[in-house]
Amino acid sequence: MRFQSASPDARAVVYAGIQADPLVARTARLLADATPGQLVMARAVMNGETTEPDRWRRMFPTVFRGPAAAAAASEAILAASLEVAERGEQARSQYRGAIVEELTQVLVGRRVPPAAVHRERRVLFDGVRAEIHPYDVTVELPERAEVYDCKWGARGINADVLNQLDDAQVHATAEGARVLVALVVFDARRSCEARLARSTAPRGQTRLFGLETLHKLGGRPAADPAR
Amino acid sequence: MAGPDVEPIDAIDASTLLDRALTAYRALADLGEQIEDEWQYVNDLVEAWSAELRAAVAPTTAVDAEQVDAVELAIDEIGRIDDPHRAIDWLSTFPQIVRLAILGPVAAA
Repeated sequence: MRFQSASPDARAVVYAGIQADPLVARTARLLADATPGQLVMARAVMNGETTEPDRWRRMFPTVFRGPAAAAAASEAILAASLEVAERGEQARSQYRGAIVEELTQVLVGRRVPPAAVHRERRVLFDGVRAEIHPYDVTVELPERAEVYDCKWGARGINADVLNQLDDAQVHATAEGARVLVALVVFDARRSCEARLARSTAPRGQTRLFGLETLHKLGGRPAADPAR
Repeated sequence: MAGPDVEPIDAIDASTLLDRALTAYRALADLGEQIEDEWQYVNDLVEAWSAELRAAVAPTTAVDAEQVDAVELAIDEIGRIDDPHRAIDWLSTFPQIVRLAILGPVAAA
């Protein structure tokens, strides 16, 4: 098993510009330490119709309550999420995807050497044709690997994604390599389960990280809602 | 501070508030159903989340004006949606807001 950077096509070049926007990195850093309630708020605001901050504060009163530091973090997350929302429907869809990828990289980079974490990489196996789509995030260590596909919502889970992740696991096992394959979805686990329940694609050893378990990517406990 | 068209606060209990939320949720699902390929997913979401909220919110659960306002604003938010794809996005988001507003923060898994 080996890794290879994907050759950027025209769409990837445009997307790279969004990935490089400081707003993406700033939002991801904020979300990496967010409580479950703050994560739900971020999802709602970035999906939302209204961009009036006070309506969101009233919709999530518990998120803005408590110690000053927690309230300040909520304000920072709200501000960043509104900036994403204000980019317009088409652009913000790309921003949301880029933020989930960046968030995954940030979290995983807390558990493994950051230099081992890569983006947009293909996984190659001897005698197996390479997949068309690269994995969003990979961890490449001498003794083992991790590959992640990142989605904004549960609706993004489909048979192609599940098949590609399962194939990576199957081929790695055949080569005697150790690999963890996972879906990272910025959505509630219940919604992911509803999506997966009707899928006939193999899930095998594919792990699922939803809003409630994102913190596990970093090997740390979740932020305390009462902090 | 109540949202628009809210009944007097003392007339609302958790069940009434949840009924309102689920009525709005069903209307959102009707919009999402316009995406024929996602008809099943839309209804699976509605079934799963409605059951969860019904199970979690006891009729005796106390709700105050702030909680009512939060849920009413969420209802208003989904009422603004006219795109079926965005409706499907919100079929997952809305019940999480309602749960958070009525039951408060929960620890992560």
